[in-house]
Parts: sequence; structure tokens; C-alpha cells
Amino acid sequence: MNRGERVPARFEVGDKVQVLDLNIEGHIRTPSYIRGKSGKIIQFCGFFLNPEDLSVGNTGGPVYPLYRVSFAMKDLWSDYDRGEDDELCIEVYDHWLDTSKT
Amino acid sequence: MRGYHDIGGEEAGPVPKEELPWLYWEKKVEAIRNLLGDATRRLVSLDEMRHGFESFGIEKYKRYSFYRRRLEALIDTLEIKGVLTRKELDAEVAQVKADWISDDTGTGAGSHEQG
Amino acid sequence: MMNEHKHDDHAPLVAEDDAGNLEGQQITNALQALLVRKGLISAGEITLEIQKIEAPGTHLGAKIIARAWADDDYRQRLLANGKNGAAELGIKVGEAQLEVVENTPEVHNLVVCTLCSCYPRSILGQPPSWYISKAYRARAVREPAAILEEFGLVLAKGKKIRLHDSNADLRYLVLPERPSGTDGLDEEQLAALVTRDSMIGVTTIASPQKTESN
Repeated sequence: MNRGERVPARFEVGDKVQVLDLNIEGHIRTPSYIRGKSGKIIQFCGFFLNPEDLSVGNTGGPVYPLYRVSFAMKDLWSDYDRGEDDELCIEVYDHWLDTSKT
Repeated sequence: MRGYHDIGGEEAGPVPKEELPWLYWEKKVEAIRNLLGDATRRLVSLDEMRHGFESFGIEKYKRYSFYRRRLEALIDTLEIKGVLTRKELDAEVAQVKADWISDDTGTGAGSHEQG
Repeated sequence: MMNEHKHDDHAPLVAEDDAGNLEGQQITNALQALLVRKGLISAGEITLEIQKIEAPGTHLGAKIIARAWADDDYRQRLLANGKNGAAELGIKVGEAQLEVVENTPEVHNLVVCTLCSCYPRSILGQPPSWYISKAYRARAVREPAAILEEFGLVLAKGKKIRLHDSNADLRYLVLPERPSGTDGLDEEQLAALVTRDSMIGVTTIASPQKTESN
């Protein structure tokens, strides 16, 4: 893809998604604790250059859709013992997500 | 493999509340990074700097403070880009140390402060 | 800081000791000299940039919060677009986007960056040491209620916690609940009540005490 070209957004607000456990080396912004977890898209943040590219000086790549995804704390931590409704919101790039199977 | 910075969810002790001062040299590290990363230079982005200190290896990462890590990552990135070499910088540091006169403000009064 | 909890044996330091600080100064000065000689930067630019990064602080965030409390239309614009909301008050947000998250009687917000130290620096300045500590970054997303208790905040059981891990391009600012007993206050007086920690979410803002009149 050309510089600044948009990778198409595959998801929209309300979609249930699962975070992939991609085997990408280098600088990634998808923390381990959400890998494999399912949540819901709550916001579309826009298109941004991929930090995986930027970290090695590559500013000529496409822009990726970025979403805010909400996870129930009880889904992230099996022993979470506070509220059922407690949630965690975090930004995830499109290529780290897939439709949730659950 | 999980990076040593990727610590969300790990066990840890109580949050250390002592507020540490932000020292002049630390501010200067941030300032230099901001300038080198600006639109006219684009030499070190925040992403490159983060990648830098994530690539130290656990020993070097543990040895240094937050701002020293940023300084080292800045230098590493500049070296990768061919802007400077560690050898050049070491020679410059040796010169700074030789000229160093510490004063009460702790800013040092070597001749390199001029200009 | 000495900590007996064995899990902190390998916690990275947040600060240098005296020798480390001296070395930090010397290397930074050497780097500056080298970059100046190579024509990449000037000493004047560095001085100006330092002034620029020293300028933001709690007072800027407090100004935004006070306006949001005083003006409900502004509050809604701010929640819709934080960067534009700040700009209305002459505050330029340098980061890609600012997301203002509102505390309500039902929801309490808390912000953390587990991966490094992302923080709305262009508004609030540098984050406090504890925000970049391993303990905060590791535990906030796992046991937020326990973290809040360490800061003296005990939430009602029915109150929902909403955590924000600031891991990518957005930066977050908590809009604390306006405390009771502040109806007569103007914006400047309201701003004086707002604390940095309440805008991160580890505390709330207490109602101002009436001063004893003698």
C-alpha cells in the first residue's frame, strides 16, 4: 500500500471482537493481558500510522484503523472479585482483531 | 515472547508514593528528543525511542532510570541512523568530564554550556 | 525505596542516585555539544523547548475541568472532542487526540499506561513518579480497587470502575465529579479545587470545608 493509504476498517462500534495473539517482533502496542480476550468495539478512533512501522523509522506506510475496545474485567481476570460491570478500555489496531467466536 | 515492559497484570508491591523531582538534565533529554523528532528533523520519533529501550535487554533496562533509559535509547537510535557514533560521544563525554566544575545549582559549568 | 515484597526485586528504578545523575548530566551535555557542532540543533532551541515542556501543569487541566463544571454545553463539546474543547480555552493539545472521561455517581474512571508512561503531557506536564512505577502500571489494570485504596479512595460497592489503558494514540483526562457545596464558586475558585491526581483518577475532589470564622 502507498504512503498514507487507508487500510479498510473491518469493524464498527458495537461489534464483538477477539484480540489475536500475533507473532509480530519488535515494538508492539497490544499488551499480553488482552491477547485472546473478547470485548466490544466502543469507539472508532480514526486512522493512524502503525507504531510497528514507525518504531523502525518507516513513516511511508499505510494508516490503520484504531478502535477503543471495552473488556469486562471479569473476562480479563478469572479471579476478579469486584463488580460484574467493571470494565477496561484500550486502543487496538484493526490487524490485531478478529470477529469474536463467543 | 513477552517484553519486559509489557507488565499489565503482573504482581507487584505497593505503589511507591515518593514524588521525585524532575531534574534539569532529564528535561533536557525530553527537549532534545522533541526537537530531533520535530517536522524539520524527523530523526527520532517517540515510537523509535520506545523501541529503543524495549530492545536494551533486561540487564541494561534494569540498570537505568526512566530518563536515563530515554537518553540511551535516543543515542542508540541516532547511532542506527548514522547521525553519530558511540565513540564520538564517548570522546565528547570525556571532554565534558575533564572540564567539569560542579557548582551549587548542579548544572555544571563546563565550556560546552556556552553558545 | 526499600520494598520487602519479593516481586519487586527486579523492579526497574525510576530514578538515579547522585552518581547516576551526574553521569546523566554529563552525557546529556556531551550529546548537546555534539549535536550543536553537527548543526542539528542549537542551544537556544533547547532552552526554549525546555521552557515549553515546563509550562504545562495541573493548572491547565484544572481550567478545563472548571469550565466543564460551570458550563454544561462546554462539557458536552469537551466530551465529544477533547482536543477541540481544550483549544477553546487556548490550550493546545500536542498529542493526537484527547479523550475526556467523565466520572458520574455510577462510574469512576482511572487512567494508566501499562506499557510505558503515556500521559497527557501537553496539558498536565510530566507524570508523577508513581504513575510510571512498575507497581502502578502492573496492578492498576488487575486490582484497581486496591490501588485506589492505597490512595485513600474507597469506592461504594455498586460503583462501576472503568479503566483506560493509554496504550496508543489517545491520551486521557478524567473529568472528576463536581463536589457538593460549590454552587457559589466562580471558575477560578472551582479550578483551585482540582488536583492532578483527580484528573488521573486515583482520587476524587472533596467538598471544600467552610473556614472557621473567628
